[in-house]
Amino acid sequence: MTGPEVATGSQAADARARVPALSARDVVVSYGGVTAVDGLSLDAFAGEALGLIGPNGAGKSSFLAALGGQARIRRGSITLAGEDVSRLAAYARARRGVVRTFQMTSEFSGMTTFENLVTAGHGAAGASLASVVAHPRRSRQRDRAVARRAWEVLERFEQADIANAYGRELSGGQRRLVEIMRCLMRSPKVLLLDEPTVGVAPRVVDKLIADLKSIRDDGIALVIVEHALDVVSELCDRVLVMALGRSIATGKYAEVVRDKEVQAAYLG
Amino acid sequence: MLDTLASAIAFGIILASVIAIAAMGFTLQFGLTNVFNLAFGSIMTVGAFAAYLAQVNGINAWYGLGVGGVAGAALTLLLGRGLFRLYARRGAKLFEMVMVTLGLALVINYGIQAVSRNNVYQFTVLQAAPMHLGPVTITPTQAILVGIALVVFAALEALLRLSRVGKALRAMAAEPSLARSCGIRTGRVVIITWVISGFLCGMAGVVYVINSQSVGYATGELFLPLVIAAAILGGPGSPGGALAAALLMGVVTEVVSAYGGPQYSTVAGFGILVLVLLFRPSTVLGGHGRETRLTL
Amino acid sequence: MLSSWTFYISTLVIYFGVDLLSGISLNLQYSYAGVINFGYIVFQAAGAYAAAVMTLGPSGGASSFQQYVFGANLPFPLPLLVATAVGAALSALVGLFSLRRIRRDYQAALLLIVSLIAIEIVQADVPLFNGSNGLTGVPRPLAAVLPLSPQGYQWAYAAWVLFLCALVYLLVRWLSRSPWGRALRAMRDQEDAASAVGLNVTALRLQVFVIGGAIAGLSGGLLVQFIGAWSPDAWGYAETFVIFTAIFIGGVGNYRGVVLGVLLVPIIFIQLPQFLPQIGYPGLTDSLEWVIIGLLWMLCLLLRPRGLLPERRSIALPDLSSRSA
Repeated sequence: MTGPEVATGSQAADARARVPALSARDVVVSYGGVTAVDGLSLDAFAGEALGLIGPNGAGKSSFLAALGGQARIRRGSITLAGEDVSRLAAYARARRGVVRTFQMTSEFSGMTTFENLVTAGHGAAGASLASVVAHPRRSRQRDRAVARRAWEVLERFEQADIANAYGRELSGGQRRLVEIMRCLMRSPKVLLLDEPTVGVAPRVVDKLIADLKSIRDDGIALVIVEHALDVVSELCDRVLVMALGRSIATGKYAEVVRDKEVQAAYLG
Repeated sequence: MLDTLASAIAFGIILASVIAIAAMGFTLQFGLTNVFNLAFGSIMTVGAFAAYLAQVNGINAWYGLGVGGVAGAALTLLLGRGLFRLYARRGAKLFEMVMVTLGLALVINYGIQAVSRNNVYQFTVLQAAPMHLGPVTITPTQAILVGIALVVFAALEALLRLSRVGKALRAMAAEPSLARSCGIRTGRVVIITWVISGFLCGMAGVVYVINSQSVGYATGELFLPLVIAAAILGGPGSPGGALAAALLMGVVTEVVSAYGGPQYSTVAGFGILVLVLLFRPSTVLGGHGRETRLTL
Repeated sequence: MLSSWTFYISTLVIYFGVDLLSGISLNLQYSYAGVINFGYIVFQAAGAYAAAVMTLGPSGGASSFQQYVFGANLPFPLPLLVATAVGAALSALVGLFSLRRIRRDYQAALLLIVSLIAIEIVQADVPLFNGSNGLTGVPRPLAAVLPLSPQGYQWAYAAWVLFLCALVYLLVRWLSRSPWGRALRAMRDQEDAASAVGLNVTALRLQVFVIGGAIAGLSGGLLVQFIGAWSPDAWGYAETFVIFTAIFIGGVGNYRGVVLGVLLVPIIFIQLPQFLPQIGYPGLTDSLEWVIIGLLWMLCLLLRPRGLLPERRSIALPDLSSRSA
């Protein structure tokens, strides 16, 4: 059996683990006359890292955007823990537990790392005008709670020393980590990552993989678009191979890599 | 009743021609470089004044079209390769560029105001006898302006579809980074774009004053919003779109003016833009996740 | 001699206050939320117009010397409240179609065009807005009631304006430093990432725009009740740039900088030529002022100085406190 050890080990937990945290059915994404995703289905489970791989132009980023809500789907459905979220905007999906990183690191450049984390920690509820104006004391309490959590997250990833740095003062790897920590502030169920190792120095990639594994072990479902196949083989429990907008293989990395069709897609 | 409509449509076509020349220049420039040039109207005024000065020195008003065009082309090339590139080199973002062009517009407009002592000058074009086409009466001058617009359109379409430069331009507008790696000499294409769009800009200023018979520092300014609206409506980089949009705006403006009164005419024109933005916002949304870049 | 000086200074203080309100509003919109409101002047003009008709009394119709709709004779300070509300309402309306997901350079141009259309509409229609004639005879609030000399009244009005400035300044600064303000900055920096952490950026932008518009309306109301007249020509799009330039020079992103910028640009810079000997023909200095504003503006965008009073970094400490540096 694939997948990490489920902490509780009880049968009920196993059954729960088999209900996908996020699933997509026959998703079609097209813009400007080009069909980027042509009927793709996927199941992402809690505590599992699923890799989305394939040659250039396969539609991986478009599919990730469809999952996250940045791209509208022409057909098909996307379900989050049983709820149909296909028509929901990105911010609404984020409030329901789907978070993501972007190909180019997207930390809020005018704020320090700490402020990045706190912004995500407050989310929409804490940042609403109503809550700020009408409930000042509750707002202050929430501020302290979020700040405390931000320090916890920083400590967990050993990044307390960059808490007060701006993005422009950090390396690519650090900025990627800021993005990921920011996602975690939301206590998400699903974390979508778009080429997380881009712009990250090779020696830092190992730590990044270890960090992502630890996030996966917390019970979060990871869906990772990645080109670097060594990262994929190390990190992902399962992979889904895309080519020309369709899925051509899924399973463990070692098996999939031996599939003839997959080899043809990459080389041909 | 039908006569009023026919007349309004005819005048709409004339107004549309005046707008279209400028709009086609704007859309060419904007479609490639992504610089939202709010100083476009000011450069039109410069072209108009160049033609006026030429006229004062004895040059025929119609040759003034060329004079104005050359002035516009020279100024635009200077700004494009000099000033705008300077900002782009220092990392200016798209919205910062539009702010820069607005400041530039202030400088040019009020610079002209200062030099022209805030006067409005007469631009005389000898009018031949009006022509009667059924219920509609127009002057030969106006007919010529319509003709000029059509010629410009045909020339631009030919350029974009048939010439190597045109194809390179379209490739660059669609995929700038890819175009460079394909061996397209992007610098040359950009220069040609500045020159052609600048020429159209200056010439459009002259066309406007041939129609209105007067030149002042605010000439281009009055005109610019309609030009921008037509260019946006027609889609950046599409001369055909700009022409069609200008036609729509021109006709609607004149029809509203004829039936509702002249005070509502410009409002009607903008109303179209507002409606489009409300219902077809894809025209102005950002690209699909891809950052739009300045191509200078 | 002295009295004409005190009149001049008190007038300047009032203009300073009105411009400061504009600066605060634009700073909130531009520096915090990234909204480039080139149409700002329209909301100020609308508020001014509303305050004017709320104090002029009902229109006498087509036969009287000025006609308009919705006249009333409201006592102080109701016209100001109406002005604020009108600024907010108009902003909501404009915001609904111009603040969607739209490229920021398009957005800036669109808001500029909106201001041009609005002036066209008003200038065109006489029965509705008294057209290009504008409005005159707007009474000064409480002038008849307070036992003050004309000079004393001016200082009282100046104090009133500065009082409102202080209120707005503190309120907006507090909002900017709140989680809501932080959400605005996130939206300004990376809109997609802001959505991806659950922020509804369209709603946030609209909120900022409406608050900015409310302040604009208030500032317009204060201005018109002082000047006593409203003319369409006075609300040109170029006025907005003076305030924008003030923000750039004073320090983008902090409100102390706005105070300094508004003092330097609209007040000192614009007023200074009045004391210089006249050069060239009459009116030349006005043109040159605008040229210089344009150049200053372009220079600020090129050099991108952090302003004379740059924004301070907020340093967080593990004991949950924070300090500025």
